[in-house]
Formats: sequence, structure tokens, C-alpha cells
Amino acid sequence: MDNTEYLRPSNLKELGQIMAGHKNRATVIAGGTNLIPQMRNGGKSPELIVDIGDIQDFSFIMEDDGFISIGAATTIAEIASSDIVSTFSPILASSARELGNPLIRNRATIGGNLANASPCADTALPLLALDAVIRILSPGDKTRNVVLNNFFHGYRFTDLGKGEIITRIIFPKPDDETTGSQIKIGLRNAAAISVASIAVMLTMEGKICRKARIAAGSVAPIPMRVSRVEQLLENQEISATLLEQCKAIMKKEISPISDIRGSAEYRSYVTAVILERNIQRALS
Amino acid sequence: MIAKRADTESVKAEYRVIGKPLPRHDAWGKVYGETKYSNDYKLPNMLYGKVLRSRYAAARLLSIDTRDAEKLPGVVSVMTAKDVQNNETVTRFGQTHAVGGFEGLYRVLADKKIRFKGEAVALVAAERRDIAEKAIDLIKVEYEPLEGVFDPVAAMQPGAYQVGEDKSNVICSYKVRKGNIEEGFAHADVIVENTYRVPMVDHAYLEPESGMAWLDDDGVITIRAATQVIEHFRGVADVLGLPHNKVRVIAPMVGGGFGGKEDITVETYLALLVWKTGRPVSLTYTREESIIAHGKRHPYIMRYKTGATKDGKLVAMEAELISDAGGYVYLSPWVLLYSTVQATGPYDIAHVRVDTHTVLTNNTFCSANRGFGGPQPCFAYESQLDELAKQLNLSPLEIRKRNYLHTGDAMATGRVLEHRVETEQTAEKVLEALGPPSKPKSPPEKIGRGVASSMTSYGRMMFLHDTSRSFVSLDLDGSVTVRCGVQDIGGGQASSLAQIAAEILGVPLSDVNVYIGDSALTPLAGTTTATRQLYMSGNATLKAARVVRDNLLKKAAEILNTSPENLDLKDREIFIQNHRKDTLGLKKTDPECNVNYGGTRKAVVAVETCVDDDSDRVVALEDVVKACAAEGMPLFNVAQFNAPTRELIDFKTGQGKVFADFTFGTQAIEVSVDEETGKVTVLKIVSCYDVGQAINPLSAEGQLEGGALYGLGYGMMENVIMEKGITLSPTLAEYLIPTAVDAPDVETIMIESGGGVGPFGAKGIGEPSCVPTAPALANAVSDALGVRIYELPITPEKILKALGKI
Ligand SMILES: Cc1cc2nc3c(=O)[nH]c(=O)nc-3n(C[C@H](O)[C@H](O)[C@H](O)COP(=O)(O)OP(=O)(O)OC[C@H]3O[C@@H](n4cnc5c(N)ncnc54)[C@H](O)[C@@H]3O)c2cc1C
Repeated sequence: MDNTEYLRPSNLKELGQIMAGHKNRATVIAGGTNLIPQMRNGGKSPELIVDIGDIQDFSFIMEDDGFISIGAATTIAEIASSDIVSTFSPILASSARELGNPLIRNRATIGGNLANASPCADTALPLLALDAVIRILSPGDKTRNVVLNNFFHGYRFTDLGKGEIITRIIFPKPDDETTGSQIKIGLRNAAAISVASIAVMLTMEGKICRKARIAAGSVAPIPMRVSRVEQLLENQEISATLLEQCKAIMKKEISPISDIRGSAEYRSYVTAVILERNIQRALS
Repeated sequence: MIAKRADTESVKAEYRVIGKPLPRHDAWGKVYGETKYSNDYKLPNMLYGKVLRSRYAAARLLSIDTRDAEKLPGVVSVMTAKDVQNNETVTRFGQTHAVGGFEGLYRVLADKKIRFKGEAVALVAAERRDIAEKAIDLIKVEYEPLEGVFDPVAAMQPGAYQVGEDKSNVICSYKVRKGNIEEGFAHADVIVENTYRVPMVDHAYLEPESGMAWLDDDGVITIRAATQVIEHFRGVADVLGLPHNKVRVIAPMVGGGFGGKEDITVETYLALLVWKTGRPVSLTYTREESIIAHGKRHPYIMRYKTGATKDGKLVAMEAELISDAGGYVYLSPWVLLYSTVQATGPYDIAHVRVDTHTVLTNNTFCSANRGFGGPQPCFAYESQLDELAKQLNLSPLEIRKRNYLHTGDAMATGRVLEHRVETEQTAEKVLEALGPPSKPKSPPEKIGRGVASSMTSYGRMMFLHDTSRSFVSLDLDGSVTVRCGVQDIGGGQASSLAQIAAEILGVPLSDVNVYIGDSALTPLAGTTTATRQLYMSGNATLKAARVVRDNLLKKAAEILNTSPENLDLKDREIFIQNHRKDTLGLKKTDPECNVNYGGTRKAVVAVETCVDDDSDRVVALEDVVKACAAEGMPLFNVAQFNAPTRELIDFKTGQGKVFADFTFGTQAIEVSVDEETGKVTVLKIVSCYDVGQAINPLSAEGQLEGGALYGLGYGMMENVIMEKGITLSPTLAEYLIPTAVDAPDVETIMIESGGGVGPFGAKGIGEPSCVPTAPALANAVSDALGVRIYELPITPEKILKALGKI
């Protein structure tokens, strides 16, 4: 760690210049709750750390006509207590409240949670279910948008290229017919990494489901959308039989591993249970 | 929750400080973060120590090359086994009396054979912590990996891989034989037989192993470390080949012990580095080191066969317990002896056969952990009892009531329980306090309740001839000093001594100052382990304070022209008894309300109001003290309390007396279980103990609540997961303990029978309070679901498996 350089730009322009100038060696740090432990245990040894903590335009929660925008450096605590988030995306608010512990939530950022790309990243699931888009600043002052569903490429591997940073997360405000639910299974009631986690958004037209978004965490190399289950639900009346089919397909679509937190069979079984529960909750 | 004190009559009105819920004298420093723990001290010129640990669990150590590490700028010293004068000694108990028998090898730094992953191989002292860390990486160690053995049952087999240099991996075995087991089972109408498993668990104290040491002006190696045993100074001196009085250990406030700081931790390493460099050295383990490389609670495999008659009377119990000791012996034989003596629980059983074994493996070594061999068998015998109750259609309370031991009964070891046994009362009280059952909210939710009792010893084994010493003195202004070598590990060990001295010498608690934990300057008081400090050092302090009091009263009697028996001592006054207005009934005193807790930041003063009316019948304490001083009458005393002793038990039958007394208690738990996810929510825990006499009900209640949570962690989630000797849960992200959000409402009830062997009839509760929680939880889950979990921790996954869902 003692050879690591550290820079702390104060605005977006400076940040852009640093990232472009040092794109091969710069590592962004936001809350540091992933990066610092990774550096301590030898997993990462960055040459240059660029701290985005001083950049004001990076931390905000905004609402406009059709969209909610959240700055990449917004902390999980800010998201958990935001009225805007609670009103328009209660599943994001509740998953933020369940992330880590109060100390972590005060430091951890939403951008860091997504860029770290852990299969257990708690905010990724509601954001996937909310059709979120990620805005990325690339070297040369270019901006591009990526649908979150296309952002995670593989285990801890994302669409972010060298020198790129996430600037904000944007998702459409759900309409009145759309409701959601989110359940995280952990091995204790707080400060628990998820063992299985599901977020669901359903748009209903009477009894018929018009649009379904299902995201699952900790059961595949990436936080994933489960499109086959979504397709099964869309344009159908949600019945007990359909739910059973969904559960069966769900188990086929995921690829959980066995580790010290739980076996693959356990993960697979509870994922199906919380899928059903989420759908029932979203409907009630 | 505020503790209920069951037996209000026995809140003895004549006590003034004892039995009062007084805020502890050390409370404010902790609240304000001002209390200094071992890692909070620094000295000029101080070096940082670091330990290189073995990468393998089983290996032969071929060579160590320290040259590159030594060349690194800022490295002052690198040490390996060859630099340690006496690298191998034996652990006994590190205390006042060296006792033969099962002495464990204590190897300071590895040589020859590596016995577990994380074993210390080399030490570094450097100018900065990061340099020390880097130096560790530069030490080249050549290993020849060996196959190792990781399962205690496999390790017991003939021809198994040998963990150490001995002929067998079996460290020792014990037996208890009572009656005729075959005959017992022949009389049984129902027999249940099951195998139970409990995991290896960590102490998970807030403060990891830590200390700092320096050479004082007289060349004494002075070690200030987080320890439960300052008397390890002897063991440390032996390693360095120094006279015992050239090593001094000081224990500041300890940030949690739970048995994990009973064995030597950093002390020897510090002493070696200080001796070699002549400079102060500081060393604190990382959390990973603490979990991987320091002693744990033993995992056990326990086969229990229990038989009862139709009407629920236990007639036979056969138990076989195998404990995994890990790589070194440490306290394993003793922990196992506790399990053996307590294997039948607080029950009267005619025919008993217990066989126990503790075995070396290449896992992390195991040693003392709160309950010291008590929690493991309690999980088994209490689960068995509920299984029998189910088959016999009896309630869990009923089957227990038909089998509890009572005062005067003999245990399976033949030992007669001559002191108070109130287990039945504790069981009735917890169930009453649990109230009417909760209603399940929705279909997948099931409600269940469980109860479990235990008997747990307090005080060390009697053949160890335990002693403690305490010094009490009165200063010229009437203030009191207690000096006692106790280690305060957060349980209020020091504060209780202050209360005892205040009570006997008739001064408010704020007038007492306590010096603790210094092997050179405070009288040696033995270990803060075995739930022995209140019992042992409380009695020593009581004894010393009484001598001082007697001298005072003698002098006061002369002044007041009466005899000492007529005198009483209160609020810094000595007076002729039945003379003060309040005691004459003019102002009836209620022990609860006449105490005024005026708080200041540092000290809390308890002021009792009194009015005196007759100066020739009352004399101020200060005046008596001065009169004594003028005549050279001693107002100090060092007293030694000797625990009752017995010789070793008969190891062929397990018959004999091992402990001075036991603490009896029961816990009841209500859970809600989600049948679909397997998630258990603990709705309420009620814990009731006969504490004998609560010296400070706030501290006692703290122990009962903390014990219940400690036990709940054991029941629900704690697990040092090892695979081939490698710890897969080396940090607190994988090693889960309950958080505040997991802590249920804990209601505590104290019975104060006055029947203990501690001061004022107190019993010990530090360890007993955590023993029955896990089985109460297991019984509650089984009640909710109709299936039993035989292996701790009870995780959602195990529940779903038991329900056949996965
Ligand atoms: C005790 C503890 C408990 C935890 N519990 C949980 C939990 O329950 N659920 C959960 O999901 N996570 C948990 N985490 C992980 C972590 O807190 C979260 O992932 C957090 O959101 C990371 O945010 P950060 O700002 O701290 O990221 P950092 O550590 O600062 O960064 C993480 C990674 O993202 C990159 N990065 C950060 N910001 C940007 C950006 N704007 N653009 C591009 N790259 C960026 C960094 O370069 C780094 O690679 C826990 C961590 C700890 C230490």
C-alpha cells in the first residue's frame, strides 16, 4: 500500500482529466468499503487511487418528469432515507436499508456497489428490476449509457473500460399499475451478505400481468435478470399453477454454488420460495 | 430489561451496599471511551511485533531463512525457535499451584512438526507495523507438507496420522460408572438414542489478543496485556530462563475474555522481543489471527442413550463424548473432565455410564471457552429429555420435575449436593414468565417453545487447591483501598470487590478505590476463569475487610465505652446498634429507596441519609481511624481465602468430588419458524438462575443477558468452519455472531437463596448463564416443527433438510 498514489479531484472536469491521463493505472475509490478490504487482503494493489468523495455533483437523488437519477457517489444511507426513493422505488429503499450495517451504509456508495459487481450486490437487484440505466463518463469527456442488464458481463467483470467511471444511475418512475417487492435471505438479521435475494416489479392490467421484471442475486456469477420467468408471467393471469411453473423455471435458470453460507440446493430452494412470496406481495 | 428478583424477602434489608443495583465504578470511563485497553498504550521508541504463522496444518518444518527479513530497513529483530531458550514447556494452569497430571506441551515457536495452520513460526520486531508485516513476507520457510488428520474419530483409530510426537492422538479419556447400565436399560420403558454434534466456536471478543511490554528500570520485563491470568508471568519467565520475579504482568481492563485469554496469548512473544531488543514492543493480533491461530471451544460428537420408565423417571444414561482438541493439548483434558462430571446434567439417574475422550487433530487448537465443557453435553442431554417427554406424552417441564436433583441428592459421580439446589424453581419461573404462547401470523409461521436446565460448576476443581488473596486498608480520612490481583474482563470483577469492602467498612462505594491485575504489586488472586473471582477473591476481600473492621470496632468500643458486639458501622460512622433513628423505626428505611444515586462523570456516589442524635453513642469513622493510627493499630490486612479441597477423583469410576458447588438455572425460549425458508426468529428468552446473592444486581443481570446471547449465537449461527485444517471463516464477515437486531427480548429472573459458597452466599453466574440457551432453542424449534436438529448451529438450511424440503 505504501507505493500507492492518491488523488482527490474536486470537480468532474478534473476527475475526467485524471482518468483520461492515467487510464491504465487509475482506480476509483468512493466509500472504500470494498476496495480497502481488498487491498488489505492482497486482492488488489492499485497504483493510483482517485477519490471521488469531494466531487459534489456526484451525490444527489433527483426526480424529474419521468425519471429518478441517483449520483454514483450517493451513499447507501442517503438512499435508504430518501423520500424520493421510498416513494418511487420502495424496493430500492428497502434493499439499501438491509445492506451491511450503519457504519457501512454511511460510507458505501451505489456506484461502488454496482462497479464492484459482486453477485450479492444488494442494490443491483432492485435496479435491474427497475430497468435502470448506468451513465458512464469515458476518457475524452465522452458519455455513454448502458442498460444495467448489459452491464454485468461475468463474475466481478463489468462493461466498464479503462479510465471509465459511473456518474449516475437513472431509472423510469414506475406507473401506478406497477408494484414491486424485494426479499433478501441472509444468515442473520443485519450485517449479512445475501445467500439468495430476489427483486420483482410487476405491471398489472386487472388480473393480467403486462410486464414482469425479476432479478436474482447470489445464485449466479452476476446479479441477473431471469427473463424466462418474466416471459412466463407476462400477459398471463397469475395463478397458483403459473407460480409453480415459475418456481420450476427459476430453479433451472439460476446456477448457484455451494459455499460456507449455504449449499446450492438450499439456495435454489429458497430462491423459488422468495420468488413466489415476492410475486404475492407485489400483488397484494 | 430490568431483572426481576424472585425472592424479595431475601433481599436482605441489613445490607447497605451489597445487593444494590449500583452503577459500576468503571462504567463511565467505558461510556466515554476513556478506559485504556491493552492496545491503547504507547511508549517512546516502541517497536511493533508481528508473528509469522504456518501456511500448513500438518507439515515438517525443514528450514527457515530470515536473512532477507533482517536486511529490510526498519527491522530490528527476527526470532525463530532456535532463539528461544526454553522453547518447550508444559502448560499447567499458570497459577499459584502447579498440579501434576495432564500437562500439555507448550511450544513457543514451531520446530519439527507443524500441528495446525497458523501455528507461530517466527517473530519480528520493527520500527513500524507495516515494516513488520513486510518482514514477515520476506522470511522463507521450507515445509514438507504431511497428510494430517482432521477428524477426531479418524484420529483415534490405530495407525492414524500422528499429530504430535507422542504415540497416540488420544490425549486422555475419563469414565463415570454408577449402578449397572444393562439393568438400567432393562427397567426402561422408553429408550432414545441419538448422536449430537456441536461446532468449534470462537470467543469473538471486541478486543483481540493484545499487549505491550518493556524493560523497567530494574531490568524486569513488564508486560501489559489483555489476559485473564496475570500469573502466566511464571510461564513466560520459564521460557526465557529468568527468575520468576524478573517478569511482571499487568492486566488493564480487558475487552472480553470468555476463556480465550486464559492461555498465554501475546505475552511470551512480547517478552522474547523485549529481552532481545531492549526496547518496548507492542503486539496486537488481527481478527484473522485471533480466529485462525488462537484457542477455540471444542467441537464434540456425543452419542447419548437415555432410558426412562412409563412415568418419566430416568433410569439409565449412557453417553460417549469425543472432543476435538486440535493441534495442541492446552486445557483440553480439564475441559473434558468438566464435561464428564456434568454429562448427566442436573438429573438424578440410577444407572450411568459415561465415556469421554479428547483427541489431537490438525485443526486449530481448542481450549477454554465460557462454560468450559458445559455447553456441549447440555445440548445433548436436554435434547434427549425432550425426545423422551415427547414419547411419554409428558410436558418438558413435567419430565424435568420428575428427575431434577435436589439439595442433599447425589450426582452420578457420587458427590452429594450439600448446598442449595433450586433448579425446579428456576424452571417454573421461566415458564411462568414466558406467558401465554404467541399466535402465528401467517401459515408458514410456526410457534414453538423450549426449555433447558443446567448445572454448572463455579470455582476451580478442588484438587487444584485454589487460593486467592486480597489486601484491604483504611486511609486516615476513612477512604478505602483494595488491592487484589484480579483481572477485570468486563464482568464487574473489580467493582464487586469494592462493594464488598464498602459494605463491611461502612463507607459509600465511591470511597473505595480498587487496584487490580498487577503480578508484582497486587496480591495474587488467581485467574479470572472458572467463574471463580467473586467466589474466591470476594471471599478473600471479605476476610481482609472483616479484620480491618474488627480492629476499628475494638477501638471504637473503647471510645464509646461499650463492647464491639454492640457496634455497627454505616455511612462513615460507628454507632451503638439500634441507636440510630432510622434503625429505631422513626424513619423506616427501605433498602431500595433510601439510596440516592447522585451521579458525577467519574464516580457515582451512593448516599444514605441518616440522622444521629446522640454524640456519645456515635463516633465518626475518621476519628476512629486517627485514634488507631496514633496507637499503631493496623488498619490494613492481606487475607488469603483457601477453597475447600479434595484429592483427585477415582479415574476408574469417576466417583469423587471435583467442584465446591454448582449454579443451577433454566432458560425458556419462544421462537417463530418460517417453515418455507427455515428462518428462526427468537421472540423471547427468559433466563432464571439461583444466583445465591446478587452482589450487584445490575452486573448479575448483565451476565444473565449476555450469557443468553452468547448461548444463542452458539445455537443459531456461530461456527468456525474448517476444511482440512484451513479456517474458511477467518473474519467476522464469515464468522457470524448475533447483532443487536438478532437479540431478542431477554427477561432475567434471579433467585437469591443465599446458598452459595461465595461471599454473602453468592454463587457464580458468569459461565452458567450461557449453558442451556442452545438446547432451549433446539427444543423450541423441535416443538414448532415436530422435527429435531441434532447439530449446532441450527441454520435455516438444516431446518429445511430436517423437514425434507431439500
Ligand atoms: C462489513 C461490510 C458489510 C457489507 N455488506 C454488504 C451488503 O450487505 N450488501 C452489499 O451489497 N454489499 C455489502 N458490502 C460491500 C460494499 O459495502 C458495497 O458493495 C458498497 O456499496 C461499495 O461501495 P463503495 O463506495 O464503498 O465502493 P469502493 O470500495 O469505493 O469501490 C468498489 C469498487 O467500485 C469501483 N468504483 C467505485 N465507484 C465507482 C464509480 N463511480 N465508477 C466506477 N467505478 C467505481 C472501485 O474502483 C472499486 O473497484 C459490505 C462491505 C463491508 C466491509
